[in-house]
Amino acid sequence: MPVAASAIYFLNLRGDVLINRTYRDDVGGNMVDAFRTHIMQTKELGNCPVRQIGGCSFVYMRISNVYIVIVVSSNANVACGFKFVVEAVALFKSYFGGAFDEDAIKNNFVLIYELLDEIMDFGYPQNLSPEILKLYITQEGVRSPFSSKPKEKPVPNATLQVTGAVGWRREGLSYKKNEVFLDIVESVNLLMSSKGNVLRCDVTGKVLMKCFLSGMPDLKLGLNDKIGLEKESEMKSRPAKSGKTIELDDVTFHQCVNLTRFNSEKTVSFVPPDGEFELMKYRITEGVNLPFRVLPTIKELGRTRMEVNVKVKSVFGAKMFALGVVVKIPVPKQTAKTNFQVTSGRAKYNPSIDCLVWKIRKFPGQTESTLSAEIELISTMGEKKSWTRPPIQMEFQVPMFTASGLRVRFLKVWEKSGYNTVEWVRYITKAGSYEIRC
Amino acid sequence: MAPPAASARYPSPSQPSGKSEVTDLKSQLRQLAGSRAPGVDDSKRDLFKKVISYMTIGIDVSSVFGEMVMCSATSDIVLKKMCYLYVGNYAKGNPDLSLLTINFLQRDCKDEDPMIRGLALRSLCSLRVPNLVEYLLGPLGSGLKDNNSYVRTIAVTGVLKLYHISASTCIDAEFPATLKSLMLHDSDAQVVANCLAALQEIWSLEASHSEEACREKESLLSKPLIYYFLNRIKEFNEWAQCLILELAVKYVPSDSNDIFDIMNLLEDRLQHANGAVVLATVKVFLQLTLSMTDVHQQVYERIKSPLLTLVSSGSPEQSYAILSHLHLLVVRAPFIFASDYKHFYCQYNEPSYVKKLKLEMLTAIANESNTYEIVTELCEYAANVDIEIARESIRAVGKIALQQYDVNAIVDRLLQFLEMEKDYVTAETLVLVKDLLRKHPQWSHDCISVVGGISSKNIQEPKAKAALIWMLGEYAQDMSDAPYILENLIENWEEEHSAEVRLHLLTAAMKCFFKRAPETQKALGIALAAGIADFHQDVHDRALFYYRVLQHDVHVAERVVSPPQQAVSAFADTQSSEIKDRIFDEFNSLSVIYQKPSYMFTDKEHRGPFEFSDEIGNIPITPETSSDIVPAQQYEANDKDLLLSTDEKDDNKGLSSNNGSAYTAPYENSNISSQMQELAISGPATSATTTQSSFDFDDLLGLGLTAAPAPTPSPPLLKLNPRASLDPRAFQQKWRQLPISLTQEFSVNPQGIAALTVPQSLIKHMQSHSIHCIASGGQAPNFKFFFFAQKEAEPSDYLTECIINSSSAKAQIKVKADEQSTSQAFATVFETALSKFGMP
Repeated sequence: MPVAASAIYFLNLRGDVLINRTYRDDVGGNMVDAFRTHIMQTKELGNCPVRQIGGCSFVYMRISNVYIVIVVSSNANVACGFKFVVEAVALFKSYFGGAFDEDAIKNNFVLIYELLDEIMDFGYPQNLSPEILKLYITQEGVRSPFSSKPKEKPVPNATLQVTGAVGWRREGLSYKKNEVFLDIVESVNLLMSSKGNVLRCDVTGKVLMKCFLSGMPDLKLGLNDKIGLEKESEMKSRPAKSGKTIELDDVTFHQCVNLTRFNSEKTVSFVPPDGEFELMKYRITEGVNLPFRVLPTIKELGRTRMEVNVKVKSVFGAKMFALGVVVKIPVPKQTAKTNFQVTSGRAKYNPSIDCLVWKIRKFPGQTESTLSAEIELISTMGEKKSWTRPPIQMEFQVPMFTASGLRVRFLKVWEKSGYNTVEWVRYITKAGSYEIRC
Repeated sequence: MAPPAASARYPSPSQPSGKSEVTDLKSQLRQLAGSRAPGVDDSKRDLFKKVISYMTIGIDVSSVFGEMVMCSATSDIVLKKMCYLYVGNYAKGNPDLSLLTINFLQRDCKDEDPMIRGLALRSLCSLRVPNLVEYLLGPLGSGLKDNNSYVRTIAVTGVLKLYHISASTCIDAEFPATLKSLMLHDSDAQVVANCLAALQEIWSLEASHSEEACREKESLLSKPLIYYFLNRIKEFNEWAQCLILELAVKYVPSDSNDIFDIMNLLEDRLQHANGAVVLATVKVFLQLTLSMTDVHQQVYERIKSPLLTLVSSGSPEQSYAILSHLHLLVVRAPFIFASDYKHFYCQYNEPSYVKKLKLEMLTAIANESNTYEIVTELCEYAANVDIEIARESIRAVGKIALQQYDVNAIVDRLLQFLEMEKDYVTAETLVLVKDLLRKHPQWSHDCISVVGGISSKNIQEPKAKAALIWMLGEYAQDMSDAPYILENLIENWEEEHSAEVRLHLLTAAMKCFFKRAPETQKALGIALAAGIADFHQDVHDRALFYYRVLQHDVHVAERVVSPPQQAVSAFADTQSSEIKDRIFDEFNSLSVIYQKPSYMFTDKEHRGPFEFSDEIGNIPITPETSSDIVPAQQYEANDKDLLLSTDEKDDNKGLSSNNGSAYTAPYENSNISSQMQELAISGPATSATTTQSSFDFDDLLGLGLTAAPAPTPSPPLLKLNPRASLDPRAFQQKWRQLPISLTQEFSVNPQGIAALTVPQSLIKHMQSHSIHCIASGGQAPNFKFFFFAQKEAEPSDYLTECIINSSSAKAQIKVKADEQSTSQAFATVFETALSKFGMP
């Protein structure tokens, strides 16, 4: 049985029920009290996202300031349960236009009830795709006045398509201007030792698309990944062009991608859903270009003084630049006074997270920047516990740069009416968990 | 429209505001009911929202039921949905009123808009009122034949709902057969998927008592049907794909071609964006190839990459679920992730439940090629801010040391931990060094020199202290000041709270004495004297034992207490391989997360929804008593027996696989039998019937001693006086005077546990069964109650102490009675009453 959830609860941080839906009678209505007393009010809460009380299992997630709890009484499929919650939240977000939190739930509770009825019936997940549901859950979520998304007119009597085979796209769409937006978004995860050795490094990337296309278009995407290129040269029986090829460790695709064709021809071809969606995800561990190098030196001078020196080097192209660079340098709890100089940006001591926070709004490529600080500590008597140094953490965004080197070679749109399309391609690399030990 | 402010959040009779608002709503609704004025739908919407928001926060708005139904005549679909929601919520509590709704729901089921037909049918099936079942048949039947697929999907699930309300009605109407033909012929994927889900559930529940259902259940796994689904799998949505994959797991392939065909069909599912689909596919691959060893290995290679992606993408909770599965796989095939160990390095900000699993992974995949890197990384975590993780990582280093042959480098690292001078690091390390020495005594030289430098004053944790003391005793000849450290510790005997440490002190003093008698004699004397005077039974016994052995013959004592060292070759595995296999069979379910097979935490599904919480180790009810209760309970008791015996089997296996248990076993047996004799002697004198020579296991637990002897007729059902009274002082006095006539433990159903959040409700509940509470107290998870009851018509009292542990869902009762012969009957009454607690 994949999920067969007996009930789903939405609770705020105090444990008040915001919304609940009981799908099956095999759990009592007071299950939520059990969750409150045995999980929320104990330190169990952060220890494990799956707990058993009596004969029922609670599978729960915290998303912003809301706990979403699924109660099951059988030996359920947990991965499916979590995925269901994640998808359901994505669906709600697409209705409210942005945030999912306690207030959003309170403001849209009738809508959520409606959706909960549609996305799960008697504990079995049904259709969760926003494109289809928006056809017949016609009550618009109360959008905040700041989000300016185009409102779509519901197609009357859309139930005929609700469960069709091309579940992700409805027929009869029409746009004056046919546009496709494609973003490659990569996040780099790095763990570097204090000596500058890369302990672990990988890139997780997403190809995000926004399609405003008429009719039932067929799209084809070509990337400079190794398998795709090799296959192509093999089929055209000529040697592959020289140039960088990228080896993807693992790829997953949106359900619209024809996987049979991907496996035989190695091309990504698909009929896209309307609007925004995530076309593919990939992971790369070999040949990652790190956008930043960080060289920290931290000296403890006696018991009350420290010297911190952090040099950050940008190693991407000189014409590019990074935005929103933040370097968090940890300092001991008993820091009394800090004194620092930076060659660019601004730094300040943030005692609530025990860090020096150094922000550089714009960081050009092939340059370096330094922070040097002197730190005075409150001398503590008898406490001889040495300071456990947490890693330096970094945040950044580098537009037009991919850490993996992945590039779009072509994006072809084909539709039987033969209209012209405008394609937009962007790249951006963000920091995932970018940690440097010191 | 926001729900009302916090003041109205907790409704109580003393809060008139909530009540008056409901009456207000009622009159407003009534006004609108007949109105056909323009804009009336908008005001209805606002009112309905208000009603629903009250309902959500727990205010009882069932009193406006009638008005809501009157307002339901509308063409506005949002209004209809709110009305359905309201009706669905309150119908069960108001079966009479819900009859009112049947009419308009049935009418809506014939609406021309398929949307409304579907919604009405769903609400109709969700009323869950047994005596309205007859009204369901018509709409369901036409729903299944509806030309709109949306209505059909709902009708199919409706059949399943009907089955759960009234199985016989559902079967008699031959709905399962209709579903089957729909499943095979419907053009819509979601209809087919729902049919599959419904049929699987219905037939597996029916299978226990119907051969035909059993056959039907089997037929779901027939080759043509499996291929029918697998060939079309791409037409289904992701959730339905999970369902189909789960079905395919149970399919038994006819030959190897069959296996390869299926794997080829499903290969691309491993690239699906939904992790649940990927995991379900992995399960199919693993199960299919179990019999083909080499292909099975290739499968591991194939699934590696997708699984690693799942770990690093998604929320921490999802990673947790996936990591639990990886851990299961890695235990079966450690090589698969051996070169990917870097994926399991912890990130600083990850929640501790993910970190813990990653540490376990690192431990499991360590081998000759990667140990150095892994241990280096683990050592970084030992300085972690999160103390629990720091401890775990030290333990991980220790575990790796125990499973490796080349421990040289690791020993150095462990010893470096001791130099970090953090209490918890030192404590964990000492325990590990002890285990390491037990396995590899050849390292004693390096270790002992460092351990000898540790001041015992800095070690507070009992486990670490015990480990240090063990080493002091074992290696007394290598540590020059061992006797003096021991002497110091022995002098502080009184301040040592842990019995474990005191036991170790005794043994260490003995061992040290045999090696360095002159220096230790005094300390040993003090230790033995203190031990014999100790209030702890084990410490006392061991001290006495040592004393007597020494008195008997010092050489014999040495042979007993300090035999030549023997290295332990392997530490006992905590889980038998049989259990691990069962967990593997239940891949992709909660079993993997809990690391125990499902029978240990859920019950068989056909046992009905309300009886699923008994756990292993429940003391079985003695056959004499259970045979004269209800047959259902007897069945339950038998089932418990079964569970218990499997559990015992597992235990025994654990013992026999453990080295050196061969000689402890008979000792334990004799111990048990002597205890049994003691028990027999000290048992209540009134029970003259216990002279039967055969003592069964229950007797050991003090059970059944006072039970009525077999030949006497079954005790009559006990009637209790509903108006019994006893003042607290009399209760106390009686409690002191009477002996305990019965102790019993049983499990409490989860509804009961949930309801226990308000302990007063239990008191009220028991009172309704003529069992009165005289005192209560405690906090979660332990609650304690004192109850008393009186036999109807004669002044014979039953006093009961009841301790309920809400986390283990167990209740333990001690019964004292004027008439001891009937205390078993009373306990049965008590248990029956308790088992109904929390039920609606």
